Amino acid sequence: MSPAPVTAKSARLVLDVQGVAHRFGGLRVLEDVNIAAPESQIVGLIGPNGSGKTTLFNIITGFIRPRSGTVSVNGRDVAQDSIQQRSRDGLLRTFQTPKVFDHMTVLENVMMGMHAHTSSGVLATMFAMPSARRELASTRASALQTCERFGIAHLAATRAGELPAGLRRVVELARAHQAKPKLLLLDEPSSGLSGPEIDTLRGWIRVFASEGTTVLLVSHDMGLMDVCDVVNVLYFGRVIATGPMAAIRDDQKVRDAYLGAA
Amino acid sequence: MAFARNKLLIAAVAVVALLLPLLLQRHYVDVMVFAGLYGIAGLGVALLLGQCGIVSLGQAFFYGIGAYSSAYLCVTLGLSPIFGIVVGAALSALIAFIIGWPILRLTGFFLALATLAIGMIGGILFYEWDWLTGGTLGIGGIPTLSLFGFELNTPQRYYYFVWAIFLVAIWLSHNLVTGRAGLAMRAMRDAPPAAEALAVDMHALKTKIFVLCAVLGSLAGSLFAHYATYVSVQSFTVERSIIFLLIPVIAGAASVWGTIIGALFVALAPELLSGLGDAHQVLFGLALVLVVTLLPEGIVGLPKLVMKRFGA
Amino acid sequence: MSWGLFWQAMLSGITNSFVYALIGIGLAVIFKGTKVINAMQGEFAVVGGIVTVFALQAYGVPYFPAALIGIAAGALLGLIVDILFVRPMMRRKAGEESFLLLTIGLAFTISAGLLYFVGRDSYLLPGIGGSGVVEMFDAFIPVHSYWLVGISVVVVILLRLFYTYSLTGLAMAATSIDPIGAATNGINVTLMRTYTFALGGAVGALAGILVAPLVSVNYHMGIALTLKGFAAAILGGLANPIGAVVGGLVIGISEALAVIGISSGYKDIAAMTVMIIVMIVMPNGILGRAGRRGG
Ligand SMILES: Nc1ncnc2c1ncn2[C@@H]1O[C@H](COP(=O)(O)OP(=O)(O)OP(=O)(O)O)[C@@H](O)[C@H]1O
Ligand SMILES: [Mg+2]
Repeated sequence: MSPAPVTAKSARLVLDVQGVAHRFGGLRVLEDVNIAAPESQIVGLIGPNGSGKTTLFNIITGFIRPRSGTVSVNGRDVAQDSIQQRSRDGLLRTFQTPKVFDHMTVLENVMMGMHAHTSSGVLATMFAMPSARRELASTRASALQTCERFGIAHLAATRAGELPAGLRRVVELARAHQAKPKLLLLDEPSSGLSGPEIDTLRGWIRVFASEGTTVLLVSHDMGLMDVCDVVNVLYFGRVIATGPMAAIRDDQKVRDAYLGAA
Repeated sequence: MAFARNKLLIAAVAVVALLLPLLLQRHYVDVMVFAGLYGIAGLGVALLLGQCGIVSLGQAFFYGIGAYSSAYLCVTLGLSPIFGIVVGAALSALIAFIIGWPILRLTGFFLALATLAIGMIGGILFYEWDWLTGGTLGIGGIPTLSLFGFELNTPQRYYYFVWAIFLVAIWLSHNLVTGRAGLAMRAMRDAPPAAEALAVDMHALKTKIFVLCAVLGSLAGSLFAHYATYVSVQSFTVERSIIFLLIPVIAGAASVWGTIIGALFVALAPELLSGLGDAHQVLFGLALVLVVTLLPEGIVGLPKLVMKRFGA
Repeated sequence: MSWGLFWQAMLSGITNSFVYALIGIGLAVIFKGTKVINAMQGEFAVVGGIVTVFALQAYGVPYFPAALIGIAAGALLGLIVDILFVRPMMRRKAGEESFLLLTIGLAFTISAGLLYFVGRDSYLLPGIGGSGVVEMFDAFIPVHSYWLVGISVVVVILLRLFYTYSLTGLAMAATSIDPIGAATNGINVTLMRTYTFALGGAVGALAGILVAPLVSVNYHMGIALTLKGFAAAILGGLANPIGAVVGGLVIGISEALAVIGISSGYKDIAAMTVMIIVMIVMPNGILGRAGRRGG
């Protein structure tokens, strides 16, 4: 049972970036960037080093306020929302260098994925209120399941800081999965991974999409980019091409600007 | 197996702790009372340091607010001790919130030096506002506490009382750090951007812990006032803040139970070294320096360090 | 309050501000070289001042060499602190809070050590240029104050020249900006850090020697000096010695205003409050501490 292919036009846009521009001092990093991500699709973002991909992620997730332009999530302008508010509304990102919580166990890392979905306050936790205890227990059980699914259950009690790079990525991904985001932004999740590990990653990205998470994927790995329904090419802060990966590969402008340079 | 052994150990320690006041000389029971008092204040500092990575050098300020609230309300206004304790805690919470909200946007050195400045301002205010605090003369005649008509007027009785409160406070803190808020605190300490991306409101959380720390400091101060029955500015200086900070540092800030070890250290060390006169202060400072340089995880981390060094 | 008293408070505030600037510059030197905020900078001043007093009074060393001994003591202390404590912690890549705990612990230890060895007394040095006073705006200013300001200005200029023109200065600056790059260019990074601490210690000791004739030194004044110097340094932007002078003036004048407006007991409160407000209101201001957000 394969779902009918959705075209960008008919599907609801989970993310709609319009006319975003940003500068750092005199350095123009983004200019009039328009990017859309329809529900449950995997949208790629490629571009040479320094072209502004991470900056765009920072703007979408609220770490940086853009100089101009709007970011809409589920049709609503999020300009006024804090990082945390966006996260509670289902926006989640990973980082170019994996940011796991080094001094926490793998299980605790994955439990953190539930933070936005849980609510026990400081006092309830301190006094071990039944509600807080129940919530913690169910968070733990659910996180343990996720660990099993991602094949890291045997590491549940290991400190995340002691893991090799590949496994840290898996922990980050499992944590993201635990958060069940509506929109997941992955910033170069394939860097530092081996060939087989990238294949597993591709599988997981598909799982996210099949479970209804829209994915925005940044990667320098062109092979991985094949998972994308549509790919945007960013070059010196401008989107110079948008389309399926096959078309992007043949695009002369992209060849000149990006693939030729690589 | 190891678990059973642990249980046995805990039971043994508990028995010793219960019998201690009966076995020790009065003077040493007194020292143990102070260990409990300092421990309660140090526990607050431990939460900030161990969970949030915040160095607080201002705890003596809140310790002072608690002590003076109790002294002033009981002695000058003649109210029942419970008012002093509650008003002190509420006042400390309020002040901690008002100060904490702006300064907790700072991090690292800058935040630590801001807390140091607050501790110093507090010390000066206690001294200058002698109409309230009695200045260097202090306030005497603070009544001892009584619990259901049972007078807590000997070191022995106060020992059980203070340590019961200390242990309950540790238990509450233990719940906190192992629960949802504790996970969030450690997450924001390890990787702030990732914690924010997962919806942890770092500033609000830090402020809450700062307030909690102040309340513990204030409670310890109130209990101190009712034990010593006399308070004066000498007890609320920056040196006292450093002693409170030493408690989690000595033991290893990550563990709330470790504050027991830290509290015993800061209370007992001066006793054991009292033959040296003022030199014990030097050794205190050196203890801090050496632990920071040699034992990054405190005494609690010592076994691990030894294992690593000598392979096992 | 008469104008005479007003100017008296103002001018002594301004004199003090150069002491804070010197402490601040010492802090900035160390921060620049090592990225550590040295919470025992005030202790360098106290040690420098007391060593000079003892050299002069107990051992009869003439004034100028005694001051040099005091400065050398500060430098030596900086050297020891670096070699014994900072080096192993740098090797371990200890975090910011560990360095803070270390330097606070050292401040506490040194202060307690001074209490043990020299007691609670305050020690006064004779002023440079004698104990004469000069009348200015109806106020009497010790001759020493002029020397203090003059020497401070000279030190600021010398430091500036040192960092811009001398090879060692350049290497020290390079080490702080990019330790790995400096190392690949053959700079001995560890040694540069040690020099940095020694230099910071010397500047701190000089501040103590200069302030001793005016307010005397005692075992207990280090932490307040550190905080005021820190306030001066962050006000002026941690990297900039001339900024520290401006910052020192702001602190010194705030103190003077507190003395004039309220009472002398509130002097330190004014300084600390200004410091806290500056950190909050200009968090990345001239400091340029605005780290990159996000990933
Ligand atoms: N906080 C900042 N301040 C100043 N300049 C910045 C900042 N963040 C990024 N830049 C600059 O903006 C440009 C775009 O950076 P960005 O990290 O967005 O690129 P990227 O496409 O993610 O590159 P890469 O493929 O290397 O990750 C770069 O020149 C970078 O140096
Ligand atoms: Mg990037």
